[in-house]
Parts: sequence; C-alpha cells; structure tokens
Amino acid sequence: MPAYTLKRTFVAFLILIVVSGLTFSLSHLSADPALTIGGEQASEEDIQAIRKLYGFDRPIYIQYFDWLGRALAGDFGESYHYKQRVFDMVSERIGRTMLLGTLAILFALVVSIPLGTLAAMRPNSIIDRIALFIAVLGQALPTFWFALMMIIVFGVWWRWLPISGHTQWANYVMPTIALGYYATPALMRLTRAGMIEVLASDYIRTARAKGLSPASVLFKHALRNAIIPVVALAAVWFGFMLGGSIVIETIFNLKGIGWLSYDALLRSDLPVVQAIVLVFASFYVVLTLLADLLNAYLDPRISVR
Amino acid sequence: MSFRKLAGVAASIAGAAMIATSASAGPDDDSLVIAWGSTGPIENVDNYFNTNRTGIWFSRMVWDQLIYREPKTFEYKPLLATSWELLNDTTWQFKLRQGVKFHNGEPFDADDVVFTMNWISNPDNGVKVQRNVNWIDRAEKVDRYTVNLHMKKPFPQAFEFLSGPLTIYPNEYYAEVGPEGMGRKPVGTGPMKVVSIKTAEEYVFEKNEGYTWGSPKGEAQVSSMVVREIADVQTQIAELLAGGIDVTADISADHVDQIGQVPGYEALQAGTMRTGYIGFDAAGRGNFEPTTKLKVRQAMAHAIDRAALVKNLIRGDAGVIHTPCFPTQFGCDAEAAVRYEFDPEKARALLAEAGYPDGFEIGFYTFRPADWAEAIMGDLAKVGIRATLTKMPYFALRDKQRSEGTTPMFLMDWGSYSMNDMSAITSHFFKKGPDDFALDDEVAAWLEEGDTSSDPEVRKAAYRKAVEKITREVYWLPMFNHVRNYAYREELNFIPYQDEIPRFWQYGWASS
Amino acid sequence: MTDTGAARPLAFRQRQTTEEILEPSPWSKLRRRILGNHSFLIGAVILAAVFAVAILAPLLAPHDPYDQDLAKRLTNPFWHEKKVDPEHILGTDKVGRDYLSRLIYGSQISLLIGFSTMLISGVIGTVLGVTAGYFGGRVDMVVNFIINTRLAMPVFLVAMAAVVAFGASLTVVILVLGLFLWDRFAVVMRSITMQARDLDYVKAARAIGCSTPYIIVREIFPNVLSSLTVVATVEMANAILLEAALSFLGFGVQAPTPSWGLMLNEGREYMFFSPWLLALPGVCLFMLVLAINLFGDGLRDVTLERER
Repeated sequence: MPAYTLKRTFVAFLILIVVSGLTFSLSHLSADPALTIGGEQASEEDIQAIRKLYGFDRPIYIQYFDWLGRALAGDFGESYHYKQRVFDMVSERIGRTMLLGTLAILFALVVSIPLGTLAAMRPNSIIDRIALFIAVLGQALPTFWFALMMIIVFGVWWRWLPISGHTQWANYVMPTIALGYYATPALMRLTRAGMIEVLASDYIRTARAKGLSPASVLFKHALRNAIIPVVALAAVWFGFMLGGSIVIETIFNLKGIGWLSYDALLRSDLPVVQAIVLVFASFYVVLTLLADLLNAYLDPRISVR
Repeated sequence: MSFRKLAGVAASIAGAAMIATSASAGPDDDSLVIAWGSTGPIENVDNYFNTNRTGIWFSRMVWDQLIYREPKTFEYKPLLATSWELLNDTTWQFKLRQGVKFHNGEPFDADDVVFTMNWISNPDNGVKVQRNVNWIDRAEKVDRYTVNLHMKKPFPQAFEFLSGPLTIYPNEYYAEVGPEGMGRKPVGTGPMKVVSIKTAEEYVFEKNEGYTWGSPKGEAQVSSMVVREIADVQTQIAELLAGGIDVTADISADHVDQIGQVPGYEALQAGTMRTGYIGFDAAGRGNFEPTTKLKVRQAMAHAIDRAALVKNLIRGDAGVIHTPCFPTQFGCDAEAAVRYEFDPEKARALLAEAGYPDGFEIGFYTFRPADWAEAIMGDLAKVGIRATLTKMPYFALRDKQRSEGTTPMFLMDWGSYSMNDMSAITSHFFKKGPDDFALDDEVAAWLEEGDTSSDPEVRKAAYRKAVEKITREVYWLPMFNHVRNYAYREELNFIPYQDEIPRFWQYGWASS
Repeated sequence: MTDTGAARPLAFRQRQTTEEILEPSPWSKLRRRILGNHSFLIGAVILAAVFAVAILAPLLAPHDPYDQDLAKRLTNPFWHEKKVDPEHILGTDKVGRDYLSRLIYGSQISLLIGFSTMLISGVIGTVLGVTAGYFGGRVDMVVNFIINTRLAMPVFLVAMAAVVAFGASLTVVILVLGLFLWDRFAVVMRSITMQARDLDYVKAARAIGCSTPYIIVREIFPNVLSSLTVVATVEMANAILLEAALSFLGFGVQAPTPSWGLMLNEGREYMFFSPWLLALPGVCLFMLVLAINLFGDGLRDVTLERER
C-alpha cells in the first residue's frame, strides 16, 4: 500500500508538470509578455529592457522550469495587468469558485440519486421514462443558454433572485442550478444502472427473502452499494465543474477564479492563466488520486495488481 | 423546468412593459449604484497606473486637477489653481487655492503640487502613460500657495494635460503608501471620498462633505455611491431592469431605443470625441501587398458607405468623420482633409487599375462589436473584396499589431484621453511609434513640428499638412465619432456630457 | 494483466460508459427494436431532417445568409404586428440579414464542426485506445498517462487559450476541439480492445501468424465499431455544445459565419427585447444535440448488445 500510494502520487505529480508545461508553452505562443507589461507607450528599448529584466529572452523551457520552481514555493509571480501577486488574486477568489462547485455537485446529487433510484426500481415505467427524458434534455441544453433564461425569468421578470455578485447566499442559487444540472444526467444514469445491477444481485434477493422491509432493503443495502461509484464519479465531475464555471461565473458576474481566468485571457495576463490552469488541474488530479487511494484501501487487490 | 415553458416565458417577455419597477433602493437611502466595466475592470484605481476609460471616470470623482476644462466650451477655468501666468517659454506659474483639504484631512498646498509633478515626471516611478507626463521638467515651490512648473520645451498642449489626466495627490500620504496604497485606499480632494476598494469588483464612495469651496465640478448630489465592475453588458441591463443598479454607460444604440420604452427608465445617447477609423497597413509591415497600393486604399474608401453605417448602427449625434482626428481638436482642420464619397463603381474601377479586377482576400481585425465590422465587410464584398474578420480583445489586438504587424486592415478607435488637441490622437499614431502603419517621414516631421511649437499658427499649418497627406494617402479611413449610450432610472437627474466622462457625483434623485 | 496506477481514474468513466452501454437485447429482435425504439426513431428523423436542411440549404434558404441591408435591420418575425417585412419570415438580424436563411445555413456549420471534430478526435482516441488495449504493458502505461494528462486539463480554459494563441476561426476551433475531445474514445476503445484481444478467434489469428496491423484492422476493429459509433455521437454533441459556448464568449467562430453559437452570442444583445434572436438558434442547437443524443442512445440499445 505505501509503495502504491507513492507511485500514484508520483504519477499525479508528473501529470501536473506536463499539463502546466503545455499551458506554459501555449500561452507564451499567444502573446509577447514584454509588450503586455510595457503597455501603451513602451518604446522598442523599453521592450528590450523588459525582456532582459523578466528573462523573456531565455529559451522557453528554462523560463518554464524557472516558473515551476517558484510556483512550487507558492510564488506564482505578479499579474502583468493588475500588478498584484497572483497568489493573492487567486486565493482571494478561489473560495467562491469552490463554494459554487460544491453547491453545484450537491445539487446534482440531490436531484440525480432519488431520480435514478426511482427509475431503477421500476425500469421502463413512467418515472423511468421521465428520468430518462430529463437526462436527455439536460445533456442537450447549452449551459449558458439555460443560465440566460433563468436570468430573464427569475431575475428580471419575477425578481426573485439577484442576478449578479457573490455577497449573499441568494447570489449562488441560479449559478448553482445552471452549473449543477449539467452533471445531473451522467450521475443519474450511473445511479440507475448501479441500482438495477444491485437490485438484481443475490444478496438483495436474500435480504428480501429474509423478509426485510422494502425500505430497509433499498436504503440499508442497495443504495449504499450503488452509491459508491456515484460519489466517486461526482468527485471527478467536481474537478470538471470547476473548469465549467468559467461561462457561468462570467454570466452571473460571480467573481471567482473562473471569471478571473476569462478576464486574464482577455488581456493576455499569462501568470494568472497559468496559475489557474494549474489550480484546476491540481483539483482534478488530487480528487482522482484520493478516489483511487480510497478504492485501493477498500479493495486491497488493486494495489497488489 | 422544461425548455418549452422557458421558451414561452422568454417570448412573452417581448413586451418588456410587463417588467415592473419595484420599490427603489436608490432614492430611498440617497445612494446611487452604478455598473461599468464592459472593457474590463480598472487594474489599479491610482490614476497614474491605469489606462482604462473607466479609470478616468473614477479619477474625476476622487481627485481634482489644477485647471478645470469647461466640458461644453472647452474653456480653461480655475480649479485647484486660481490663476496662472506664463513666465517664459517653458515656465508656468500657478497661484493655488487656499482652504482645500484632502479626504484624510491633509491641507492642500504647494508641497502637494510640487511633489505630484516631480514624482510623476520621474520616469523611474513608471507612470503608465508616459506621454501624459514626459513633457514636465520639474516643479518648484515659490511660496506656500505658488508653484512654478518647468517644461522641457515649449509645450502648447500643457493645459489639456493639466486639466485632464494630471490629478493632484497628497504628498505626505502618497510618499508613505505609494501607488499600491493609493490603489487600495485613494485619497484626493474631489467630490467623492473612497470608503472601500475591491479591485476589479466594487468601489464604495461617500460624499465629501468638505467639498464646499465653490469647485466648478459641484458638490456630490447623493450621500453614498457604489460602483460595480460588471463586464457583461447584458448582465448590466438585467441588473438595471431588475432594480439592482441605477445607471449604466456601456449599452448599445439599440438598447437605448429598447430600454427607453420601458416604463420607469430613460436612455439617451451622447456623442464623444472618440474617433473610429479603419487603419491600413500601408507601410507593408505585415507583407500584405494590396494595402500598400494607394489605389486599393482609395477603392476601399469609396466602397464603404459610412453614412449608412452611422445612420443605422451608431445613431445619436454621431457623424461621418473625414479627418484623422476629431474636428473640435486643436489643429484638426476638416477643410484640409481629402474626402471620399460612397461610390462602388469608382471603387471597382480603382481596384481594376490597381491590378485587382476580381478583388482580393484580406484579414480584417477589430475589438469592437462585430456588427460594425460586418457592415463594412458587406460593403467591401460588393466590390469584390473578401474580408475575413478576426475579433480580438483590445489588448491582444494591440499586442499583435505591435509585435507582428500582421493586420492589413483594422477597425479601431481612439478616445484621445478626452484631450481637445490633435496631438492626442494623430501624433500618437503617425510619429513612427509601434502603432504607426504608415511610417511616413514627412507626416512624422510635420506632427513633431506641431507638437513642439508654441506658436498656434505654426502648429496649425504643420497639422494641416499632416491631415492633408494622411487623408490623401488614405493611411486611415476615418469613420465616425463614437456615441456613449446611457440608461438610467427615470427619477435620476442625469446630465449627459459630450466628452465621454459622465460626472456621476452630479446625478441626484429627483423625488428625494 | 498489469494495471498502472494512473489508470485508476478511468475506472469511473469506464464504468459509466460501459454500464450505460450494457442492456441486453437479442439479435433476433433487432428489427422490432428499431421500430419499437422511440428515441432512436425520433433522433434519426430529426437528424435526417437537419442533414437534409444542411445539404439543401441553397434551395431552402429564401435569401443569401450573408446579404445585408442596414435599412432593414432587426425586422420582427411574422407573429409580430409591428415592423414585419413579408420578405423575411423570421425577421432580420442586426445588420439586416435574413434570420431564417442564417438558421438554415447554420446547420451546415454545426454539422461541419460536429463531424470534423468527431473525426479528428475519433482517430486520435481510437489509435491511442486500440494501441493501449492491444499491446498492454508499457504501451498501455504510456497511453494511460497521456489520457490522464488530457483529463487533468481544464478543456474550456485551455481551448480558450489556444484560440487566443492561434486566432479565432472555424478551422482553429475544429482543430482545438478535435485535439481535446478524444479522451472518451481512448478510454472506451482501450477497454473494449482489451476484451476483444482475448476472444478466441483473435487468439487464433495471432496463433496462425497474422500480422498485428491485420489483426487490429480485420479482427479487432469490427468488434469495436458499434461502441465507436456510440462514443462518436456523444462527442459530436459535446463538440457542438463546446463550440457554441466558445463562440458565445467570443472565442469561437468569427462573424459573419452563420454559426448557431455565434448567433446566440449576437442575439444575446437583444435577449430582453427581441428574445427570439436568442431563442431560435438556441432551439436549433438544442434540437440537433438532442437528436444526436437520442440517436446515440437508441443506437446503443439497438446494436451494441448484438455482439455480446
């Protein structure tokens, strides 16, 4: 087990290095940072001086390792545009994105698990069809379009909910639904499939035969087993969702790191973009790593294989 | 909620009249909530460390300049300076106003002016727009309320800068906190006092109760004010219609018509000196051949129906511009400009003469709404020029132009920092700097002459030659002046200004 | 079989995909199932209709989708009382182009993006997945690492960065999406190839000395084809939605291309007052993606289990 943990952690770390390396080269293709820093009035000499000062005249891989070394120490440099420490800018806003992501995944679970379970209990029934219909519908509805429709109805027309900002809990309602419903179909299908499989299994039949109440069979035995992969998938989706928050945060003016990355891309603020890509990637890698280790802990055969 | 239901609701909203106005937060507690930011948030609210238009709006609320420029007549009037006198070719003497205090209680006097001028003109301090300050040699204190300002050479546009971007900072405070501290907690003499700053998110102000010394800018009309940075114009409109904000300045001409019809709201358009133009890579910086040919540029000038564009898309009091500068600006002689009427036949003929009877393909760049560019492309297509549009964020486009120069044709604009002098625009683009795609030695020399002479007639003559040659060679096809569109709650006493600087502190509630 | 540590996260996605796939149905009932499978039928009919519209666009569209007329901008669709131009049934957009014609031509763009992206990502993903699944061992380890690296990348953000780097255009969007959306192909192909590798007749082919490419193309590939089709529909829908989101934020296809995503971006400016400009392309996009999903779901039910 320790060897397995070590190996997995090493691979996760390697993934982060490759991801950040790719992003680094990509973003340095897109813009000449010296021009961005130099701003409106910079002369050719100024630009040259900035290139020297920041070391942009060095080969890209040297710049990358330089950046990586400092990033590992928590120093992500300074924003070209805002002249603030990137670390501060990101840490100030990451909580909002985390909160949004967490709420969204909870929303998705709260909708998909009961619906998936109901559908699995009566396959091909009306409930199953409705659940399937919602799933298919949800997958086809563009997130941003759904968000705009909510703004029109709940924000402007009925004035139930605030449209933009992040200062009160009500600010999170529409963004949560908009972001969360996107994960719902996948989670619901998995719940349904898992439940069908579990309900057909021998030990549930045994439990039923023993005369346990249907509720007890369902909640104590079936759901508990079927839900594990759903939660694991939800963890992975959580990682994806943080990435998906870009559009939602922009529409609702919810200033988390999704919005920050959009803003930074608009003004070629490379240190900010790089830091946020690394944050998103880290989330994904850490979550999957944890899920794997948990799996390995529950099922020791995995680490031996 | 099903899609169909949503769509139905969306359709039924078409008559926006059903949008009810709820109990208003604004007039009740005498506050004003503003949204701005469609071109991105202010990077640092310190006036010397941002380049955003909204940064100018912010600076007018918090700080004052030595001189006040009357927004309608462009006359110079006293502000922090009460009188001035030209001692010699390069020295202005200012008498300063007594009894003015900064927001932190620091009294305003010569030390503040001397400190500000010397600090900003020192290149080591890295003021972002060096052109605003690099003409200043130094300032010296004569007595507590008299200052001499020395210029490096005769600088006729000095007052445009002294009444515009050059705001006066408190010396003790700024020396202590620097740009970073000023960005977090700005302190000035202006009509609004900063309560809190959340960079790129929200600024909270309260009325400066001490602003009673008779400033021509006037006292604040509300007791508190909140500015929210909202990049998305549609979100701004939604907030306006939902009662979350009271005024926005980022909307389009169509929104003015539409919001203006919603009960409880008003909307209007105010012309600005922001000058739109199509630039051509005449110098061949990007190695694109067609635009280096005069006949091609002339053909394009004749192919584009600027009048129709202005009438249908820009509206308001915008008009077609023929000069590479705004006609009210000093030196911008509309008579000298060569005009190009809309004439597709002539355009086709010119293209044939230039060797492109079947037209050509060209890359077209802009950071403005695509519909303007699309209208232009539609006109060009009718004479056989097939343009492909690339819409980029402003900063990205500017960097592309500077580093690669591979933009054969671009629709851009320039607000001249609201300075009423041609040097603020034409000299920026045609003196062989990084944004110059003409690289014309003659034009550059004339502009330099106009920029540095202290004789107005000499300046005019030099600028006139520049205007004539730029338009004759079609280095730019000047398009139209932009219009700022505002929408606000009807109870607000909104005053439009023509210089693209809304004075938000002057807006109060009618019924309160 | 060796399983690298890096492969673990795939388990969840794999499980999701395979379990969605598995619902037994006998081959003999195929015909009846096709007729009885509503989602497949509905999906196929809508999809066929969209295809027909895309191909026949020049005949169906009443106007040139690029033909502008500023004097006739923003006319209302037929159900309005005011400012209706009988020549433009669904009204015009902000530069006076016929909205119906743009919607019709928009189907071409969406299908082009969906198919091209699917082809590029399908080739990349299949090659990676089949290679990993067939050879296993170190090859599998490397491919797994590549897949995990790809999964760790925030697609939308990196796609936006790539569009900024290479300039926004239809080609760039297709390439970027194609280079990003191959993960599901790779994951599914890998696991199915692994199963297929151990099938008796594949073993037999190996035993009689058939070359590796021959085995992969002739013996393995037919086995994975139907799963491939299902994944392809999912990715195609995904690509169309992603393009719409990119275009919506201004990082996608450029004007004046009549892309539904771009039309949503443009129509959004009028969402409070002329909501059909937002609703109509939204409905088109929704219907197309819905049809592809239904088609894919149906296909899974109808064909996949045939091989089991």
